[in-house]
Amino acid sequence: MATNKLERLLKLIAVLLDSTRPLSAEDIRENVEGYPDDKVAFRRAFERDKDEIREMGVPLKVVPIPATDPPLDGYLIPADEYYLADPGLEPEELAALHLASMAVRFEGSANAEALWKLGGQGFADDDSRPDVDSIASVPVDPRLSRLFGAITAGTPVSFEYRDETRTMEPARLDFQRGRWYLTGHDRDRDGERNFRLDRIDGDITIVGEPGDVTRRPERAGRRIVTWEMGDGDPVMVVLRIDASHAGWAQRQMHGDAEIVTEDDGAILATLPVKNEEAVRSFVLDFLEHAEVVSPPDVRQRTIDWLEAIAAGTGGEA
Amino acid sequence: MARKPTAADRIRRVLAIVPWIVANPGSPVVEVARRFDIDEADLVADLDVLWMVGIPPYTPDALVEVTIEDGRVWIHYADFFSRPLKLTPDQGLALLASSDGLLSVPGTDPEGPLARALTKLQHSLGVGGDDAAVVDVDFGSADADVLATLRTAAAEGTEVEIDYFSFNRNERSVRVIAPWRVVAQEGAWYVDAYCHRAEAERLFRVDRVESAVATGEVSAMKPSSDGGTTFSPTTTSPRVTLDLSPDALWVAETYPCEQVEDLKNGGRRVTLAVSADAWLERLLVRLGPNAVVVAPTADEAADVSGVAPAAAQRILARYLS
Repeated sequence: MATNKLERLLKLIAVLLDSTRPLSAEDIRENVEGYPDDKVAFRRAFERDKDEIREMGVPLKVVPIPATDPPLDGYLIPADEYYLADPGLEPEELAALHLASMAVRFEGSANAEALWKLGGQGFADDDSRPDVDSIASVPVDPRLSRLFGAITAGTPVSFEYRDETRTMEPARLDFQRGRWYLTGHDRDRDGERNFRLDRIDGDITIVGEPGDVTRRPERAGRRIVTWEMGDGDPVMVVLRIDASHAGWAQRQMHGDAEIVTEDDGAILATLPVKNEEAVRSFVLDFLEHAEVVSPPDVRQRTIDWLEAIAAGTGGEA
Repeated sequence: MARKPTAADRIRRVLAIVPWIVANPGSPVVEVARRFDIDEADLVADLDVLWMVGIPPYTPDALVEVTIEDGRVWIHYADFFSRPLKLTPDQGLALLASSDGLLSVPGTDPEGPLARALTKLQHSLGVGGDDAAVVDVDFGSADADVLATLRTAAAEGTEVEIDYFSFNRNERSVRVIAPWRVVAQEGAWYVDAYCHRAEAERLFRVDRVESAVATGEVSAMKPSSDGGTTFSPTTTSPRVTLDLSPDALWVAETYPCEQVEDLKNGGRRVTLAVSADAWLERLLVRLGPNAVVVAPTADEAADVSGVAPAAAQRILARYLS
């Protein structure tokens, strides 16, 4: 029955949290009530319990017990890794967090438990609990929480991206245009880079110790635009976009675009471009309502691209 | 009907409730139950278990003591549970993402309780500081006034006149709509509405609404039950089959594909529904040599093999004039 197990797990956490020295499995069997007497059965139950409390986020550590030979495994829960640093939320702030987690759904997350830890729902009574419709949902990538953990701990990471290994000091996670991006300092290229999370191959590897990363991102809170993602120095590319499409275009050009409006309402946009393919894709999205003005070589390559399509020789896929 | 809570579910809740009761001694049981969204009977059953919890040497002052009197509750000797368990990375991330996401919505008070909660939360997680958020959620650009007008109309059930730029049809039009829902999905804001001009439900991208004016008219049109989606291909939409090169696989990730077949060169053959002629033109001139139209071609009635060359000619005219 679940109550016996609840009782045993609570006792296990209490004993390990309270102890200042690592406890052996034998200590635990003697001091925590509710385990079977049989050694094999105890071991099986204890292994299961360890997995279960770790899964809920309890930092159960295994360390060798001093002065044992052969060394014995000892178990402990370091208090400073267990306890929440109380953010000191006012009731209205807690209520605001609650509303936010209803309005913006983070797919697949158990926000309820996070709010319990912060003090439950902050509403005075059921009547003051507003009815909030979800206005947006944020998709989850399995690697997000590992990266977030690395950012909060200040741990460097490495991963495969487009067939290259990147070693990064992760700094920020951005959700833009419906996708997650990682921003950080690329150690091999010695500069800030952005990566699309869905283009990272496989898992994130932790390659250092907590606290190794002290650098802050160069610029926070700016949007990532595709043509600014890449290596090397940016080339300034000027686009002209017709008045009919200018309003919408302008809302798409974040980052460092410089925009001049001409007399007929058309705009001249100067963009720092590290990825020519991305800016070509952007300008062609306007069909005949936009063009690359300069530099001449980028303009010529756009013309070449279009001429190949016009000639119908476009294609060996 | 909710599933029966497991021991793990109950322990997560107990580990959060106990510190709160310790910090708020003598709170009414009914208030604790409401705060943690749990039945009073279940709460009392969970607290009952605590009686047996303690630490060696298990003397009375080393065992948790729960007192429930006159509908109020006290917990003593629970020092080891006097503070809650840390947020897991998943939980911290989810709270920051939800809060930052809502704050990014034009019209949210940038200095209100949510902004203060976010700052405190970041501080508690050891990130953020003064200079930078570590999680930045943005749902897409939208004019703050336009978004506010549409959201207000959706909440009140009133109508709005919009000047809308249809990218696919490449035209601007003024139309009266009755907004039902305003939602962010796939990186953009959308308004799901009844459109009087189309005399049907339509989904509009908010960043293509050049202006929006509330008419004050109450709408008689009721929302459909399911809500809109960004693009729902109908059986009558034409289909196109493309061979994509390995560099063009984003197409298969971005648009709903009906058939997908891997090609020997690492590319993919996909069949897509065409939402509008201009949509196909834009896709093909962007893909250039990275896509080949497989069907329908010259020997079929709906031939699209000339679509990309014709569009490229029109764009070239602009460069060569």
